[in-house]
Amino acid sequence: MKQTQLPHPPLNPTVAATRRYNVGLALAMAAYLVVLFATIWTIRHYDPQGFLRFVLALAPLVPIALIVPIGVRYFRETDEFERRMTTESLAIAAGVTALLSATYAFLENAGLPPLSAWWTWTVLMLSWAVARMTVCRRYR
Amino acid sequence: MPSLPVKNRLKVLRAEHDWSQAELADQLGVARQTIVALEAGKYAPSLPLAFRISRVFSKPVEEIFDADSAE
Repeated sequence: MKQTQLPHPPLNPTVAATRRYNVGLALAMAAYLVVLFATIWTIRHYDPQGFLRFVLALAPLVPIALIVPIGVRYFRETDEFERRMTTESLAIAAGVTALLSATYAFLENAGLPPLSAWWTWTVLMLSWAVARMTVCRRYR
Repeated sequence: MPSLPVKNRLKVLRAEHDWSQAELADQLGVARQTIVALEAGKYAPSLPLAFRISRVFSKPVEEIFDADSAE
């Protein structure tokens, strides 16, 4: 028997924010896959040229761009400790990405071949994941 | 200046009330991992969260948090 019976609180706002984020992210990723495959199919079957080809190449970015407001909303609605961890890990990831991209830019000047812009995205996401794990462990 | 940990009696008070970390987290509207970090003394809460904790335990803030440990 509990010493102090707890009142029934409303749904924890942090839990609700996480649910909204997960649902939004899943819908955006599903839309991305649909648009991506539709775009690939259209380009293969109709081989559009010129402006339309660029529009189709960029079409999968529309559902991906939706992840930004979904993420911003989650950041604003979640609790202060989660915001602290997200801010710290993103700051570390931004620093690592800036350092590595500048390093390779100097190496390009010295003769190394130019890399795809995808590498910057990959480094940012990987360093964010590693920084997030490190920051989480620090507060345990 | 690095953020200094603030010692607190959160774990003891929670045990006195026989609440789980998840139950306390729901009362405060935060994630369970926030309670873990608070109890471990690794995270100092904001003033609004400290006041919510104070209300939940019906105790003044200075009886829950050790102000001297932050100096």
